[in-house]
Amino acid sequence: MLGTVATSRPVQAIAARWPRWAAPAAVGLLAATGLALLAAVDPNEPGHYPTCPSLWLTGLYCPGCGSLRALHALTRLDFAGAAQMNPALLVALPYVVWAWGRWLWSSLDLGPPRRWLAPAWVIWTVLTLVMAYWLLRNIPALAPWLAPAGVVAPALT
Amino acid sequence: MSYDQYPPAAPPPAGFPSGQPATPPPSNYLVFAILTTLFCCLPLGVASIVFAAQVNSKWAMGDYQGALESSNKAKQFAMWSAIAGFVVGVLYGILIVAGILNFGFWTS
Repeated sequence: MLGTVATSRPVQAIAARWPRWAAPAAVGLLAATGLALLAAVDPNEPGHYPTCPSLWLTGLYCPGCGSLRALHALTRLDFAGAAQMNPALLVALPYVVWAWGRWLWSSLDLGPPRRWLAPAWVIWTVLTLVMAYWLLRNIPALAPWLAPAGVVAPALT
Repeated sequence: MSYDQYPPAAPPPAGFPSGQPATPPPSNYLVFAILTTLFCCLPLGVASIVFAAQVNSKWAMGDYQGALESSNKAKQFAMWSAIAGFVVGVLYGILIVAGILNFGFWTS
């Protein structure tokens, strides 16, 4: 993924030798490998993955907390379990998959290049929702719906 | 990404009817901002979302140069987020191997 972001000359020289769909295909393969690992190694059991540094340092949940366990639930097609761990991931995932699909599609030169941009207020709304979600999932009264596994943030217990 | 490799947006030449220039809009890298927010480093993710919104608002206002600058900043933040995630992962690995940190009580 870094190769598509960095624009140093060696990276471009290597990229020129590969078909353009190689990068989205490689990212897809990497994601599938990660999901297979996540399906096999359960993040619900302690000791398998390290604690997120921000949770470890602050004892508060960030909008990403529970993403690993939510993805693990999704590998079992357990949508309710995923929503219990991080409902925001469930909302964001279709967009991520769509963006990857658009990347693959454009790399195959099947359609005209994109000319349309979403209005900026859509993205400002996303930002507002992310900040609100950050705050709300740390409020103990809302923990049953928004906190990972419904557990109140460690700093607030 | 392939749709970012088109030539940078240039302001329309004099006499060109108002509206979009002849090049596609620059990428706002919003998907990287969302991935950063959910899987890596929240402050970098929030900054990335701000730059993504700037790309779209500046492009819509006809500030094509400004949209391109915000796009480049969004790209840099995506890159730094990936680097930060990698470095934190390596530091964690070292601390765990050294026995300074033990594996978490809470999982991420």
